[in-house]
Amino acid sequence: MFSKLAVKNVGRSFRDYGVYFLTVAFGVCLFYVFNALETQTVIRYLSSHQRQELVGAIQQLIGVLSVFVWFVLAFLILYASGFLVRRRSREMGTYLMLGMERWQVARLLLAETAVTALVALAVGLALGVVLSQALSVFTAGLFAVPQTEFQFSVSLPALLRTILAFVGIFLLVMLYHAFTVSRRKLIDLLRARRVNQELKVRSLGMSVVLFLVGCALLVVAYAMLLTRGLLRVDGLFWVMIGLGSLGTLLFFRALSGFLLRLCQSNKKLYYKNLNMFILRQFNASINTTYRSMTVICLMLLLAIGITATSVGLNNTVSQMADQTIFQDVELVAWPEEEGDTLDLAAALEAGGFDPEQQCSSWTTFPLYQNEAGEPCLLQQDYDAYVSAWGQEPADAFLESWGARIVDGEGAGLTALRWYFLADYAGDPNEAEQLFLQAAGYIPDTGGYQYTTKQSIWMDLMGTKVLVLFIGLYLGVVFLVASAAVLALQQLSQAADSAGRYQVLSRLGVSEKMRGRSVDIQVFLAFFLPLALALVHAVVGMTAANAVIAEVGRVDAAASSAVTALLLVAVYGGYFLATCWGSRRILRAAA
Amino acid sequence: MEQILKVEGLCRDYGKGTVTHAVDHVDFSVEKGEFVGIMGPSGSGKTTLLNCISTIDTPTAGHIWVEGRDITTLKQKGLSRFRRERLGFVFQDCNLLDTLTAYENIALALTIRKTPAQKVDALVRETAQLLEITDCLNKYPYQMSGGQQQRTAAARAIVTEPALVLADEPTGALDSKSARLLLERFELMNQLRQATILMVTHDAFTASYCHRILFLQDGSLFAQVERGNQDRKDFFRQIIGVVTQLGGDQSDVL
Repeated sequence: MFSKLAVKNVGRSFRDYGVYFLTVAFGVCLFYVFNALETQTVIRYLSSHQRQELVGAIQQLIGVLSVFVWFVLAFLILYASGFLVRRRSREMGTYLMLGMERWQVARLLLAETAVTALVALAVGLALGVVLSQALSVFTAGLFAVPQTEFQFSVSLPALLRTILAFVGIFLLVMLYHAFTVSRRKLIDLLRARRVNQELKVRSLGMSVVLFLVGCALLVVAYAMLLTRGLLRVDGLFWVMIGLGSLGTLLFFRALSGFLLRLCQSNKKLYYKNLNMFILRQFNASINTTYRSMTVICLMLLLAIGITATSVGLNNTVSQMADQTIFQDVELVAWPEEEGDTLDLAAALEAGGFDPEQQCSSWTTFPLYQNEAGEPCLLQQDYDAYVSAWGQEPADAFLESWGARIVDGEGAGLTALRWYFLADYAGDPNEAEQLFLQAAGYIPDTGGYQYTTKQSIWMDLMGTKVLVLFIGLYLGVVFLVASAAVLALQQLSQAADSAGRYQVLSRLGVSEKMRGRSVDIQVFLAFFLPLALALVHAVVGMTAANAVIAEVGRVDAAASSAVTALLLVAVYGGYFLATCWGSRRILRAAA
Repeated sequence: MEQILKVEGLCRDYGKGTVTHAVDHVDFSVEKGEFVGIMGPSGSGKTTLLNCISTIDTPTAGHIWVEGRDITTLKQKGLSRFRRERLGFVFQDCNLLDTLTAYENIALALTIRKTPAQKVDALVRETAQLLEITDCLNKYPYQMSGGQQQRTAAARAIVTEPALVLADEPTGALDSKSARLLLERFELMNQLRQATILMVTHDAFTASYCHRILFLQDGSLFAQVERGNQDRKDFFRQIIGVVTQLGGDQSDVL
């Protein structure tokens, strides 16, 4: 009987559960994707190329972040279920009035939570598995990792961890439900709907002044950021952050009043259709929502900033590898005795890496020192370098040592160090493998070191993968959190203003017009914080790009595209769900 | 006289199987400029009747003509338009929008009819003057007394010059002084603006301001009294007389 009632309740209050469901499903999906990193092509590639420690570090860091994310999601889901219970206070009251025991009502709520949780968990996990594959393809493309054939894989440990994490959250939710049901007084439950929101009237003139002050603060903060740059963390930096946050707060606090004043001065606009009503509604709600709007705006800024920067940074990886080393391989060896001759090519060949076979072009030469102690390079070695890689890198090499070119066979010169430079021919992976094997031991040297383009690239890539995953993870979590809080606030506001819409309906305002009014309000609530966050982000990214440009070029188009895509998917999804939910709440009331 | 409202064979049933006839074959009509009251004990169907006329509810059978147009055949969109353009409402519970000032509440009735913005101010002020609420036009509903709120609602109902003003227990939540003031304004609205008013009440005093009263019992018309040339006190006594005749619990009626 109880399970029947529970399932029916979930079905009936689907419009209330919509946002809750969406949030849980998104949370589960995210949690799975970032805990199942081992299924990612990039990660697999890294660990198959001697970068297991790096992969371990990434997974560990993501694991630590997951704990933080777990807290954020737990808070969010508790907040959402609190909203649901508040909406249904009267229903709870009725159950109690009918003589149901408190534990029975609590059990009913628990059953309902369990039903929604199970479905959301299943949907979220399915979504997570799909999204994980999509992310894999996306990042593989980003890093130009050779795609082995498409493999559909599911990470069981991640699946298990996600299920455990969310079961934990649901237990918390159930505890919370049990607690609220046992604490609330019957009279409060039954009367819940009659308690009206207190309407505070604030002077409109004051709003205009506050709005202008807020804008001025923002402009000052922007100017500071752009002239000082992003990375100077000192006293003034915190002043700048403070000014920016305060400016944002004042902006939202006064915006509705400012808009109202502005529109009131234009009678044609103000006294048209429902404009007056919409603006007043917005103004009435702002007193309760401006704080959360500020927090949401800043969270969105974080989300946009983190996502865009981390995606943008990644595109600099291959360029940076190119800049650090010109050849595929660079091997330097010091002779045991200064002046001794080393045959690096022969040594490598003995180790199983035949330069003639494996390399498209290679050269080996010594760097000499003359009697004055100046570094020198023989003309013939220089010519060989130029013929293999061209004038520019050869000159760059000379310059890095401040070496001069000398003719002759090296009489009177001492060989300080021997170089072996080469570009691979054929399959670079195979050649690299052979080279690493051969370079594992080179006999009769006083010491040697080598760098390969692939290993530099791989190390860089490891760091960037870390940055990208952390960026995406936190970015999306912040995005989901802000959107969900906004959605719940709008829905509870819709429920609060149901009476007003009923009056409008009686006055003959058509359903279309009422729906439009709801949409505009939801739109304002969603897109005002987003708009300001975007402005913040553009200014912030301009400053950030100045920093990043020093180490590499940022692909602004790609990072903006990815960020925009994420925003549209998550934020847009919540926006539509909220419009739909609000309309349904109000249609039911009219 | 022009006929504003004509109700013919109106029925509204509730429930399946054992059907309750909330309104059972009611016929009546209202002429332009009339101030008509509907009285009856609770459960007699007066609110259902009013809801049908105001198109909030749909009748099971019968027809309602307003200005010669059958509103029972209107579709959803037409209904909204009809309510917006031809009807004015005053309800018992506060039905002003709490986020808007009195002025804006009245203006809203105009703006949703797409009245040109430059005409709004004059219309609002003229109507406010008639209802003596000029002083509190810039106040929010919660800053006004119950009587002022109801007069604001009345102003909103007539500012659009509707064919028919429907009032459901307008004095129900008012003290006797505010009620008297409101009813005097209703009379003025009726006399000066030729507003046609149909008012549902169970209070004989309130009803005594009307020209004509229809008595409902168990969903059917039971009696009808006209004020004619009597003064209000005599009319009041006549109403009490009919109420006493009506079956049911008398205290409920008074």
